[in-house]
Amino acid sequence: MSDYILELKDVVKTFGGVTALNGVQFQLKQGEIHALMGENGAGKSTFIKVITGVHQPDSGMMLLEGEKITLRSTEDSAKLGIAAIYQHVTAFPDLSVTENIFMGQEIKNKLGIYNWKLMTKRAKELIEPLSKNIDVSKPMSTLSVAQQQLVEIAKALSRDARILIMDEPTASLSRRECEELYQITERLRDDGVSIIFITHKFEDMYRLATRVTVFRDSQYIGAWDVDKISNQKLIAAMVGRELTQMYPEKSAKIGDVVLKVNDISKEGYFKNVSFDVRKGEILALTGLVGAGRTEVCQNIFGIMTPDAGSFELEGQTVQIKSPIDALKYGIGLLPEDRQTQGLINELPIYQNVSSADMGKFVKGGKLDVSAEEQKAIELCQKIQLKAKDISAPPSSLSGGNQQKVVFAKLLNCDLKVLILDEPTKGIDVGAKYSIYEIMNELTANGYAIIMVSSEMPEVLGMADRIVVMRNGRVAGQFEAEGTTQEMILEASLKQEEGREN
Amino acid sequence: MSENKNTAPARDLTVKQGFKLSKFLVSWEMVLVYILLLINLVLMATRTNLYFSGGTVQSIIQSGMDVCPLVLGMILILMLGDIDVSVAATMIFASMATGLCCQAGMPAIVGVLAGLVAGGLCGAFNGFFVAYVGMPAVIVTIATSMLFRGIVKIVLDVNVLKVFPSFYVTIAWSNIAGIPLALILFLVMSAGFIFLLQKSKFGRQLYIIGNNATCAQYSGIDVKKTKLIVFILMGVMCGVASIFFVGRMGGSVSSTMGTGYEMTAIAICVLGGVSTNGGKGKVYGSVIATLIMAFLTYTLGLLEVDANSRKIVTGFILIIAVLIPNVNRQLIANLKLKFIYKGNKNVEALNIKTAEEVKALRAAIAELQKDSTVSDADKSAKIKKNEEKIVSLQKKCKEQTAAWLEEQREDERKAKERFAAK
Amino acid sequence: MENAKNKSFVGKLTESRNFGLVLGLIVLLLVAAVITPSMYSLNSIISMLQNNAVYGLLAIGEMMVIITAGIDISIGATLSLVGVVCCRLMAENPGVPGVVWVLLALVLGALCGAFNGLIVGYFKMVPMIATLGTMYIFRGFSFLFSGGQWWFPHQFTEGYQAFATLRIFGVVPSILVILVVVFILAALFLGYTSRGRRIYAIGTNKESAQIAGIKEEKVTFLAMTLCGMLAGLSGMLYTANYATCSYGIGEGYEMTAIAICILGGVSITGGKGKVDGVIIGFLMMAVITYFISLLPGLSVWSDAIQGAIIIAAVALNKFTERSAEKRALKERSALI
Repeated sequence: MSDYILELKDVVKTFGGVTALNGVQFQLKQGEIHALMGENGAGKSTFIKVITGVHQPDSGMMLLEGEKITLRSTEDSAKLGIAAIYQHVTAFPDLSVTENIFMGQEIKNKLGIYNWKLMTKRAKELIEPLSKNIDVSKPMSTLSVAQQQLVEIAKALSRDARILIMDEPTASLSRRECEELYQITERLRDDGVSIIFITHKFEDMYRLATRVTVFRDSQYIGAWDVDKISNQKLIAAMVGRELTQMYPEKSAKIGDVVLKVNDISKEGYFKNVSFDVRKGEILALTGLVGAGRTEVCQNIFGIMTPDAGSFELEGQTVQIKSPIDALKYGIGLLPEDRQTQGLINELPIYQNVSSADMGKFVKGGKLDVSAEEQKAIELCQKIQLKAKDISAPPSSLSGGNQQKVVFAKLLNCDLKVLILDEPTKGIDVGAKYSIYEIMNELTANGYAIIMVSSEMPEVLGMADRIVVMRNGRVAGQFEAEGTTQEMILEASLKQEEGREN
Repeated sequence: MSENKNTAPARDLTVKQGFKLSKFLVSWEMVLVYILLLINLVLMATRTNLYFSGGTVQSIIQSGMDVCPLVLGMILILMLGDIDVSVAATMIFASMATGLCCQAGMPAIVGVLAGLVAGGLCGAFNGFFVAYVGMPAVIVTIATSMLFRGIVKIVLDVNVLKVFPSFYVTIAWSNIAGIPLALILFLVMSAGFIFLLQKSKFGRQLYIIGNNATCAQYSGIDVKKTKLIVFILMGVMCGVASIFFVGRMGGSVSSTMGTGYEMTAIAICVLGGVSTNGGKGKVYGSVIATLIMAFLTYTLGLLEVDANSRKIVTGFILIIAVLIPNVNRQLIANLKLKFIYKGNKNVEALNIKTAEEVKALRAAIAELQKDSTVSDADKSAKIKKNEEKIVSLQKKCKEQTAAWLEEQREDERKAKERFAAK
Repeated sequence: MENAKNKSFVGKLTESRNFGLVLGLIVLLLVAAVITPSMYSLNSIISMLQNNAVYGLLAIGEMMVIITAGIDISIGATLSLVGVVCCRLMAENPGVPGVVWVLLALVLGALCGAFNGLIVGYFKMVPMIATLGTMYIFRGFSFLFSGGQWWFPHQFTEGYQAFATLRIFGVVPSILVILVVVFILAALFLGYTSRGRRIYAIGTNKESAQIAGIKEEKVTFLAMTLCGMLAGLSGMLYTANYATCSYGIGEGYEMTAIAICILGGVSITGGKGKVDGVIIGFLMMAVITYFISLLPGLSVWSDAIQGAIIIAAVALNKFTERSAEKRALKERSALI
């Protein structure tokens, strides 16, 4: 009776005052793989949670095979054959694979007692075709990410899912693991499952999907046939403007080497990483998520200490054992997760700004609050922070302005090297631009910047030099001039096949 | 978005909001003051003779002072988001150290120092396990409270230590110019703690750690060391408390004394507005709460409520003091959404919007009535028009709400049928 | 596949905790045997277990709460309150059969626990502070209801005492039978029912639990209610066992219960812990306390020793966790 197995119309969802979905629509055909794309914070994850009944939409309609449905919980959606595999694998790490598969739909006898035997048998039957190497009695935490994902797929299959939603399943998989996942996904489609495949990677989309829908800033932008839309147009749809206008002009002069990282290794994270960064330069550290970029930064900043290797600051070898040391030497970190690592959401902005170097405001054992406020105002005006006043808490600000507070906090210290870990993550496009402007101004003032970023255009648009990491090692260094997305992508992906045994 | 360009003028970020009396008067600390006054008034009215007879108020205050050093230390601990339930045991441990030194004939100053050092060591022991081994503070201090008191039991068995410096009793029982000495000392210490927590760099670090320990680490604050210091400080305050406590007990100590003091100290802090999640609260709230507790205990005693029933009151105070901040606008809004609007956000939004419009219209009416430039006839016509608008708005809102709720019920019925079948 | 080998190694390690506990228990028993051979008569072993049985009951309840990543320190007070209520009513109505008091104890205890569950689960109070408050309240009510009075053996009816002291087959006291039944029921509940498994689920990952449609409030409420119920049962059995009662009973028992849980490998951060571990923890604690009580002059040491044991157990847990993390890193290193 309807072309679509699943259709959503004008779905609105707000959390407190924040609009996560603003009148989005979506159509899924029977037996297709439909890619859903959009930047971080575009509302994709909320969208899935609405489809699976975790959240109830504020308004809007959801049609399953043309019939209006209301989902009150995940149980309801499971009964209708809707299953999801979430971005951060949402397993119970201490519970066994079997139990993870059957949580919420346990096999029980009449007395309500579990039938472990039958569950284990069923779990094995479900897992076998996907992977031969998973022991269903082991706790979930002992599996690799790829294996955990397969368990999630098995879980979906155990519920006879007709509609399967996969939220960035390839984000932290090796290329070979991706290929296996593609094949499994295609097999599922051939078995008649309709799949919504959420991804950042164009590769995923071209390899699998027949249609693609794009969300941006909580809104529906459009849906296209994959073979009828150009790469350029799709990116434009996702980011909201043409790539060429996205980056401000650079004016910094590049000087001498400030920080040199010599051959550092950390067990379990990375090995033999070396690079240097010069005055006035932006060095991009890129590669796939999980390649060890963030950990390298954390080692430079003293959150962890490397097992081997050394740091040279302006020609002097320095020991960095803690963030206190790092700040003392003039190295600052803008952490990846600003909510938990960068900001104290309940304290006023000026206290956030002064937090990394309070010593300079101490007068006679007492903190001079008016000096603190003055300095914070000065810094925040420089980076054009939009806030009610300097004593407002960061929780009242937008993502972009929160990031600016963290910037101001770093600027309050006397630094030479700034490490920016995903500085534009979860920030809307306009605010991104002003962050880039701040970065350029800083380099013009002689700061050396190390920028970790997963967004290829950002890397190419902002960096002077690019270091690509792959699986804990440096996979290549490029001058930004003349480097293309393909070159970086190749370096971050190549010869993954070799290491699987 | 375009206002991000360089041309944008510098924003005025100075703090415009100065001191606001209305806000200050309803702050939690002021509420505590009202409670304190209320208790005093009740006491004054019911036992007039007693209240105005010499020494009653002083002795009430004295009776509540033995716990005050523990309260001050506990504020810092709670500020970190930790907890210390070994303080009573540490206090007895410190008393024992002093008592043994004095018994052996050492000078008073050595005894006092021994007590403070013993307390500090106990605190350092706790702090080491909490900060550097990373064990939960609850568990560590539960265990050490058994351990410290256990050691006192081993050393003292059933004996009572009776030799203490004479000024112990003086501190606990005497007045200077009609003001209890203990209260004066308490206020002096409180001033010190107010400076430490609210004015110094160290205090700011505590707020930061309590709110977000990870961020504190990224901001170059030595979280572990700070925690250790706070626990040591707590231990030393237990040593100070031992002076007040032993004095209160008339200069003697045994292994079974002072049980439950940790709970009283925590209850007072919580009542004083210090959050057990860390990062929130001020010293003077707890200072007032200490006095409230003293008066409450005494008043209940006068009303012939025995010590154990007072525990019930303390328990309820603790729970209510924690629950009150949770009953905020958000919660009320959520409850309203759930019960009045049946979880339908559309209905909620409509109702809120209508209420706002009605409010605006009412304000306009009020304005009109005050306005003297308009003629009376005009005025009443305009007012009437506005009133009509209000009525029609409300009617519309009601109808739409009913329609939406009906739709929702229908949906739910369908959903139920569908899922019942499967 | 390399992974499979690693997993079995990790698996062995997780099992080795219980193994270590059993080993420790055996060593303890041997030492005790050398110093006080009198310990090993059937009678003394039975009386040792009998006198410690309430700790076992309390520990099982506490364990459920700790698995949800909470804590309940009001169980000693619940024990006291329920004990006093049962004793007083029993002394006033000697004609009523004993089973009524068991039921009353279960209901009253459950009510106490439910109150905790309400303020922790639904009002989102920090468990430690909430149960600290209710500990005061329950203990206060216990005193109010007792009026400061004591109850002595002659006031206890036979039917009441039988639930603790009646020797089944002439050997095993009924309180131990009840304990074993509770162990079995708890193991069944936690291992084989969805409600039980949900207790683990919210303890191990709250967000996943939400996505799986598990209501955190309800599960917390259930765990705390069950904990209170067991505390209530222990209150009745405690008074029946000793045939004495006053409002002061059960002081500090929550600490012992927590200690048993920690010894038994229940993770204080939630999600981990099994009934068999708690049973071993219970046996260890029983042997230690009994051993201490046998040695003249050592009884004053019991508190200090218990405190030291808890610290040692948690520290041990921490170190095994850390070494497991290190091993995991090493495994990952091999892939780089």
